[in-house]
Amino acid sequence: MASSSSYSSSCNSPCAACKFLRRKCMPDCVFAPYFPPEEPHKFANVHKIFGASNVSKLLNEVLPHQREDAVNSLAYEAEARIKDPVYGCVGAISVLQRQVLRLQKELDATNADLLRYAGASCNRGTGRGSHHGQNSGLYSFSSPWSSSHDPYGDHRN
Amino acid sequence: MIIKTVDECSYFPTMTIKGGTSQACAACKYQRRRCTKDCDLAPHFPADQPKMFQNAHRLYGVSNIMKILKQTHPEQKEEAMRSIIYESNMRAKFPVTGCMGIINQLTFQLQQAFDELRYVRSHLAICRDQCQYQYNSPSCPSSQLQLGIQTNDHEALQLYQQQYQYHQYNSAAGSSAGGGGMSLMANEYLANGINGVYIDDNDSVVKPLRVQQFYYGNNNVDAVAVQHNLITSQGFPIQQEMDVPHDYDDIPFDTIADDRQSYIDSKEACESSAESAFKGTTTQSLEHVSQNDLKSAAACFSLTS
Repeated sequence: MASSSSYSSSCNSPCAACKFLRRKCMPDCVFAPYFPPEEPHKFANVHKIFGASNVSKLLNEVLPHQREDAVNSLAYEAEARIKDPVYGCVGAISVLQRQVLRLQKELDATNADLLRYAGASCNRGTGRGSHHGQNSGLYSFSSPWSSSHDPYGDHRN
Repeated sequence: MIIKTVDECSYFPTMTIKGGTSQACAACKYQRRRCTKDCDLAPHFPADQPKMFQNAHRLYGVSNIMKILKQTHPEQKEEAMRSIIYESNMRAKFPVTGCMGIINQLTFQLQQAFDELRYVRSHLAICRDQCQYQYNSPSCPSSQLQLGIQTNDHEALQLYQQQYQYHQYNSAAGSSAGGGGMSLMANEYLANGINGVYIDDNDSVVKPLRVQQFYYGNNNVDAVAVQHNLITSQGFPIQQEMDVPHDYDDIPFDTIADDRQSYIDSKEACESSAESAFKGTTTQSLEHVSQNDLKSAAACFSLTS
């Protein structure tokens, strides 16, 4: 009995997953480290959207040190899907991509203005030829942004 | 004479005919079941893309996909399926982070682009002012001032830029949506419910961007920003706090740039010599010339004569 009590004390409180599924939380429960009993909604959301078996398979496919991040990302996506059943978290991706594109355009335009003024100031100030900002000491940034994760394949500006 | 009725002819549906006109969709193929005409998944999982359904099945499962489709409006089923397929594909591509990793990456890119744009705009403001100043005063004092500017050291330039950044913030915050593209973008950024956030390397606490808070007092935190709390350290850069500098107009002139001290010394020398030589200068029209210009011009006149 003592052994069983010590055995049960190691998993005294079942994890949120086993509580939700109404099963005994074993010591080697795959969900226990990532679904603490204090956060029941986390597993509830994940189970509602993805299902416990799918989550279990996904966790077994990643390395142990990556499982926490995987669970957190699944919980994030599940909550996003519950809030927005149509787009889920993909809506946020779409919005962010559009904004990155807009910023990129604005950056290009501002850089072009900067080069214009830098060239003009070089011409007027030093009397030398237009160096287009090479000797002006000012920076013009390139725009390395590329939208490689467009979920809908179009840039809705 | 046997006459086949129309009912008999239509009794046998096309689904029972193997190799018929309608091929089974990827979903039904995977599940090894008959693909009916009214299969809900058939329009979204064509037979030539089995991997797409496998990803969706691995992440969601058929029953969960059907649950989501039942919740959505018939007109939105297409969009819902596209998002499910995209999410599944991203999870297959990035098993650990999935779509959340993409959101983090895009947020980081957005913040970097925002910082770069702000920096470039500050440089642009400096350049504009330089050009304007050179245009306004082409005479000797401006050349001295210009010399002072060109000999800026890095620290003075940074201080100058900070003040112009603050100046830009003021103008952007006070302007309407048409005032500047940056403020317009940031307005939309918040309007869409995505607050500017960054994650400190040391903890997982989400800290709102001070820059954007300076723009707007409204912290419209959406679930997207709230869920960033779940993220462990992702290696995001630590945003430096933007200490609100004093208003540019409030700072005394001689503390703006240390390298202008050379101009100030020369200015004092000009003033001392101008006072004695001023009496002997020819009379000119002084209405459109500032006092400083006059004194410096007098100094030049006294030196050359």
